[in-house]
Amino acid sequence: MSAENSLNAWFCREVLPLEPGLMRFIRRHWRDTAEVPDLRQEIYERVLTGASREIPGHVPHYVFMIAKNHMINRARRARIIQFDVVADLEAVVVDADVLTPERQLSAREELQKVQAGLHRLPPRCREVIELRKIEGLSTREVAERLRIGINTVEQQTTHGMRALSDFMLGGTGRIRRPAPKSRLTRGQGS
Amino acid sequence: MSVATDIEERAADFLMRRGEPAWSGEDQRELDAWLDASMAHKAAFWRLEHGWAAMDRLAALPPQWKSRQPVFPLLRQRWKIAALAASLLLAIMAGGIYRSFNSSAVQAKFATLVGANLTVPLPDGSEAQLNTASAIRAEVSGRHRWIWLDRGEVYFSVAPDPSKPFVIHAGARRITVLGTRFAVRRDGQKVTVSVVDGRVRLDGDGPASGVGSVTVEKGGIAVADGGTTLLAAQSVESIERRLTWRQGMLNFDQSTLGEVAAEFNRYNRRQLVVSDPTIAAMRIGGSFQTTNVDAFIRLLRDAYGLRGEESGEQTILSR
Repeated sequence: MSAENSLNAWFCREVLPLEPGLMRFIRRHWRDTAEVPDLRQEIYERVLTGASREIPGHVPHYVFMIAKNHMINRARRARIIQFDVVADLEAVVVDADVLTPERQLSAREELQKVQAGLHRLPPRCREVIELRKIEGLSTREVAERLRIGINTVEQQTTHGMRALSDFMLGGTGRIRRPAPKSRLTRGQGS
Repeated sequence: MSVATDIEERAADFLMRRGEPAWSGEDQRELDAWLDASMAHKAAFWRLEHGWAAMDRLAALPPQWKSRQPVFPLLRQRWKIAALAASLLLAIMAGGIYRSFNSSAVQAKFATLVGANLTVPLPDGSEAQLNTASAIRAEVSGRHRWIWLDRGEVYFSVAPDPSKPFVIHAGARRITVLGTRFAVRRDGQKVTVSVVDGRVRLDGDGPASGVGSVTVEKGGIAVADGGTTLLAAQSVESIERRLTWRQGMLNFDQSTLGEVAAEFNRYNRRQLVVSDPTIAAMRIGGSFQTTNVDAFIRLLRDAYGLRGEESGEQTILSR
């Protein structure tokens, strides 16, 4: 197995099951929910970079130390420093509840979860995913069957793919559409 | 759009196209190069690949299986039973079940202690999330859905059912809902309704109340006190900021220290006392864990040079 394959396997086996707890941890300590997916992504990037040099011993501890340090750094670099966020994070001892990886699901439970995730999608998106995954149709075939454009099929597939991955990893399973940028900056007070 | 979202969209696009008959060696080289370019790309792609692979379980289903047909109704039924059982159990823990005098419906009581937070699933599929030091009674039957807010603050997520309006009695006010998400806070006779989604109607409770009816729309806040009701339109975002207690956080934007201390005091036994009016008028912004008064006092010391002096269950703030 190449180094890259084993890193990929390690990531899926050891790190991704921690995602529900990691997301709870980020949300609990971060104010702007719009930034949560960015933080998760940046933390994973750092986790992989470190692990590509040496696979760490205690993975949950390693992942949450990276998460904590990254969030502190990011909070310090922010244009408006939230003293309380930094202070809270510096004082935080990672709770046992976030350190517990998701229990491994049985094949039957996983199928049920997949179905539940599918059920949360909007009808059109669900139909596209079903045709692809149950009947194994290609983009072109799905487009023909549903009499819709190829672009639409592609868009629905990627939306569904992202929402379902999110759901399988403990998220809400809602489609995240690009939102107009409207972030409020709030001052620290005088 | 954020960098992470861009990367995730690119990863999803690659992953989708890779499963297509048209995927070529050229495409594969493009993907490899993209993955090699950054650990962030690998993280996003591997994560989606893992989640998407779980979807292959669907291939085990017969082609005629469609989720449009009722999907495992049994499971959902079980859910309802479990939710009902959970709510009854909580009711027992919260003080017992008793039959009300004028109907055969079961009335359940739920209450939280200072600093606690409790989500109660109701038998009709609605949910009530109780904030600190709050109490409700619920009577949800085949004929009606009635809630009494005895004290504190509750966030409601109401399952739509036009045939059975969801009615909340809060002191001298009555709130009628058809299906929505909103919070009701009661401080004595003052009632505040903040609507996140849908709309609710706010009336006086009882025919003799003499208070007019007000409809609060999505993004609106109504404050009712005595005979008057004040209605303010706000953004949904600002309403949600007022409801961060649901995640155990308090959010302040240019509030005075006096107001912030009063909010903290709702969640903690240890009470903050700000007697010096110049200190009470100081402006504070930030987000804090509701029960982490220590971090808040530390911030006041480090950033504003205030001292916190402990005396019994009080902390007196001074310069």
